[in-house]
Amino acid sequence: MAGLSIRGLTKAFDQVRALDGVDLEVPDGQLVTLLGPSGCGKTTLLRSVAGITDPTEGGIWLGDRRIDGVPPERRNFGMVFQSYALFPHMSVFKNLAFGLEMRRLPRSEIRKRVAQALHLVDMEAMAGRLPRQLSGGQQQRVALARAIVIEPDVLLFDEPLSNLDAKLRDSLRDQLRALQRRLGVTSIYVTHDQVEAMALADEIVIMFSGEIVERGDPVSLYRRPIFRFTAEFLGRTNVIEARLDGDRCRLPWGDERSVENPGIDDPAGVAIRPEDIAISTANGSDPHGEIAERMFLGAGTNYVVDAGGVRVRVNVAGTQNDLIDIGTPVRLTPPKSLHLLRRGRHGSAEALA
Amino acid sequence: MSDTRRQKREGRWLAVGLYGYLALVMFVPLVVIALWAFYDPAVGWYPPDIVPTSYSVEPWREVLADRGIIGSLVLSLIISTTVTFLTGALAFPTAWALAHFPFRIKRAVEVFVLAPMIVPGIVVAVSLGEIFFRLGLTQTVLGVILVQTVGTLPLMIRILTATLEGIPGELMLAARTLGASPRRALMRIALPMAWPGFLAGGLLSFISSFEDFEKTFMVGAPGVQPLSVRLWSYLGGEILIFPTAAVVTFILLAPTLIIFFIAERLMKENVLAAGMGKL
Repeated sequence: MAGLSIRGLTKAFDQVRALDGVDLEVPDGQLVTLLGPSGCGKTTLLRSVAGITDPTEGGIWLGDRRIDGVPPERRNFGMVFQSYALFPHMSVFKNLAFGLEMRRLPRSEIRKRVAQALHLVDMEAMAGRLPRQLSGGQQQRVALARAIVIEPDVLLFDEPLSNLDAKLRDSLRDQLRALQRRLGVTSIYVTHDQVEAMALADEIVIMFSGEIVERGDPVSLYRRPIFRFTAEFLGRTNVIEARLDGDRCRLPWGDERSVENPGIDDPAGVAIRPEDIAISTANGSDPHGEIAERMFLGAGTNYVVDAGGVRVRVNVAGTQNDLIDIGTPVRLTPPKSLHLLRRGRHGSAEALA
Repeated sequence: MSDTRRQKREGRWLAVGLYGYLALVMFVPLVVIALWAFYDPAVGWYPPDIVPTSYSVEPWREVLADRGIIGSLVLSLIISTTVTFLTGALAFPTAWALAHFPFRIKRAVEVFVLAPMIVPGIVVAVSLGEIFFRLGLTQTVLGVILVQTVGTLPLMIRILTATLEGIPGELMLAARTLGASPRRALMRIALPMAWPGFLAGGLLSFISSFEDFEKTFMVGAPGVQPLSVRLWSYLGGEILIFPTAAVVTFILLAPTLIIFFIAERLMKENVLAAGMGKL
């Protein structure tokens, strides 16, 4: 096993550059998610690694072996597709055996390895079924088993859970992560779902219009993103234009806070996650604003507060709090120290979400 | 309640209509042909009799007395089988290209490929007959096979193209990532999945080849006489001899009925329906 390095990868179609000089390292055994809106180039990048799209420029290395230009059948990469791409005329067993037959393994060995792989995804009982006799979740588990049964050097996932309903998606996501950890296969996972990206990834790579915007482990990328685009694409965030004064900033509703990263270029505003703001009714003291919208979600309640001429999203977790009615004057308590975002070239991701 | 009842009633009328139509276009002609094929020439069949007053197998005896007819049948079966397989083999690459490559002149190629379908067979036969003569292919079995294939190719290409277009491209890509070369992916995935198309196109090709007269006659006669050509000579030159014509019809109809009976069995798996739907 080895890590994957992608250097200067560019894919130009007639007019558009689907990929524009992408550099990416995927360390051995790690799972990297490519996250971005549709058309950002994440799928083109994945397909280039798989060998089913030819990049215009740049190279891809597996360890120290250069693999761009090697046809997909000689790369030994397993791929899982959004559409599952199971062979409809073959049974589950035959689907799994296909890759092993291509490798000319003896029959007994094929039977053994198919059985093992089916066991891993808990589908032993379905070996004789045709794909159309399986549910969506079962089909995707078979597709996963088919990709791992060949003992691939790299696993590639192209939005594998997008066609499944929410509950199934969650449970399959957890299974998939556990399996990837256990097998220790270097993996790239393409998704447009930020929750999925955070739950699965060792590292998240945010892409937009053929370029990498920003990358990092889920925690630091969520808490301290550099760009506004990242902050808005990875979860929701309030980007608030505050008056800056050295390492202090003044929020539109009058509060002052310290800034943890003062002095950056082209600041777009401070980031305050909706779940990081505390909210309380004014009860006679000076209000910061009033509730404009309320949405009860069960596990929590989301508010939009009109404060100092800006609309601030506030999420209150838990079910034991009293709900605050629309129009009630409230006070807001953001965290003590705030994080500044750069505007960058990518602008806001709000319109895309 | 009343809704489902109304639907039921509408469904029944629809069924009556469809079966009525089927009876009108298929069984009524068959009955007429059957009556003619078994009437007794010694007694005759004149108005106002709706059915003949006496029956015999005389017309059959007359046609089947020709010893050569068995040889013609065998020749026909050989030619039609060869034409069917040749058509399939030739149509597949073209259909694959039409289904998968987004080239600009695709529309033009499509029209070009399908053109022989709209040109009457006799026109094709006359012009090709001339070329075949120069190539020394007239009065050869090979020549007949080739000229019939010209007629069967367009339909086969049309059906196969539609079938192949229905195969998701990702299946081929999945096969590639699993270690199949493009050729093996084609053999293991695309070819078996195109089976409904091959079946539907093959049946129609076989029938059209078996029944073809004008192209076969132009190129093959008088040296090569498959069943269709030989039987046409029984129709009787200037005036149509009804009883023999009826017998000929029956003989030519036989393979069609046999083939559609086989097809009906296979249709249980919806395979043929999938292919025919692509027409």
